[in-house]
Amino acid sequence: MAPNTRTILICSGKGGVGKTTLTANLGIALAKQGVRTVVLDADFGLRNLDLLLGLENRIVYTAQEVLEESCRLEQALVKHKQEPNLALLPAGNPRMLEWLKPDDMQRIVEMLREIFEYVLIDCPAGVEDGFKNAVSATKEAIVITTPEVSAVRDADRVIGLLNTQGIKPIQLVLNRVRPKMIASQEMLAVDDVTDILALPLLGLVLEDEQVIVSTNRGEPLTLSGSNSPAARCYSNIARRLQGENIPLIDPAKEEQGLRAKVRRLMQTKIF
Amino acid sequence: MKHLERKSIALPLKKDDDWRKVLKIKLNALKPGLIEIDCRDWQFNCRDIYKLASLLNESGCKLLSIQSDIPETIVSAAALGYQTQLAKNYNEGIAQQVDRNLPGKSSANTLFHKGTLRSGDHLKAEGDVLLLGDVNPGAKISAGGNVMVWGRLRGVAHAGKEGNNNARIIALQLRPLQLRIADVIARGPEEKPEPGLAEEAKLQEGRILIEPANPQNLQK
Ligand SMILES: Nc1ncnc2c1ncn2[C@@H]1O[C@H](COP(=O)(O)OP(=O)(O)OP(=O)(O)O)[C@@H](O)[C@H]1O
Ligand SMILES: [Mg+2]
Repeated sequence: MAPNTRTILICSGKGGVGKTTLTANLGIALAKQGVRTVVLDADFGLRNLDLLLGLENRIVYTAQEVLEESCRLEQALVKHKQEPNLALLPAGNPRMLEWLKPDDMQRIVEMLREIFEYVLIDCPAGVEDGFKNAVSATKEAIVITTPEVSAVRDADRVIGLLNTQGIKPIQLVLNRVRPKMIASQEMLAVDDVTDILALPLLGLVLEDEQVIVSTNRGEPLTLSGSNSPAARCYSNIARRLQGENIPLIDPAKEEQGLRAKVRRLMQTKIF
Repeated sequence: MKHLERKSIALPLKKDDDWRKVLKIKLNALKPGLIEIDCRDWQFNCRDIYKLASLLNESGCKLLSIQSDIPETIVSAAALGYQTQLAKNYNEGIAQQVDRNLPGKSSANTLFHKGTLRSGDHLKAEGDVLLLGDVNPGAKISAGGNVMVWGRLRGVAHAGKEGNNNARIIALQLRPLQLRIADVIARGPEEKPEPGLAEEAKLQEGRILIEPANPQNLQK
């Protein structure tokens, strides 16, 4: 039994801002640090956490069968091949949406808390029933947004709802940050976002093509120990969650770094 | 620069005496210096605070900070850029967090709400409303009377929603998406406000006018 289990909901309001990608990468990164971690796919309407983790073909049972007592929890948990500290629990199939109640979600999470030190819940987009079910079973939350006005607006709404449910702490992850666009003021700056959302910033994730490559392969970036920009960001977020004090990256510096690199490249070409 | 002395003066309670009279007497007994004023239960608007500050100036003193039991007084003082402090025992007096999206209940004339309104929230009041917090984009605050925001107003505000043309909107930072007073609607200004200056919106000749909540403008 893990007495200090942390249950963390990963949510956004707006769809497609990177919840599932964060859940998968954080799950792997935490497991690598030796903490027993389970990721729970609460987005059964459109489940794809299993896909991102490359575990799709190994799912036999879901939380639905566990709740119906037609299988044991251990049978439904899918252990990750390379990172045995990580397990996935698929919540169920799309039909489940209709009968799943907050109580059910709470029961599942209670069971998981017996075994794991971290329970990460991948939340569906929106603020409807799926979201409410997931919220009812969590203590903490990570709100993820991109630096876009519409995503920030939805994140703000979600934070308000989390506040009324007594979720604490709520931390912020800013995804798909493009230093160049911030520098040219084409994108909201980090300050603009934190100014409105008024949450502690758990981390930034840079825009990175490797995220897409890794998604298609079913191997989260943090798995291979890749040194790509986003991979570093995800690892840092995991370490901060664990209480390590790691300074945030500064988009302005990243941009200078990039420019310096390009300049060096150009110079080597010329000379 | 010469080090100025810091002194505190408490105004009399409203029921006991006139504050101007008492203040003048107390000032006569003081050397020039920085003054902290406890306004007790006096409800001051910006003009009153300005008056108070000039009384201090006349006797060579400078208003440093304002303390009060009355939130309106605090907002007015903060709006003029003075340090402010709500009386210690005040917090318990504040109405508890109003349920999100529920009309605020208040028997008194002013509804207090502590905490930031986030996107989708709507705080409603029958009389005046005083918010200690921000109104974020996508959130709304409306009142039958005045809307006072001790924070940044970046959402939508509606004052005098039952048709009161004299209702005003005041905020430490006024950068709304939309303002309404009675049934007149205005879009928020495009340019950023100057930092540190509170602003006020009121209805004048059928148009919503935004100006700094500046003592000069408030003087008759
Ligand atoms: N830092 C990043 N850099 C580049 N692409 C990213 C980044 N983060 C996420 N993406 C891409 O954005 C898309 C959406 O990501 P993801 O599925 O994680 O979002 P989601 O919030 O879970 O979406 P949904 O609301 O549909 O569940 C994916 O194609 C993913 O590869
Ligand atoms: Mg998803």
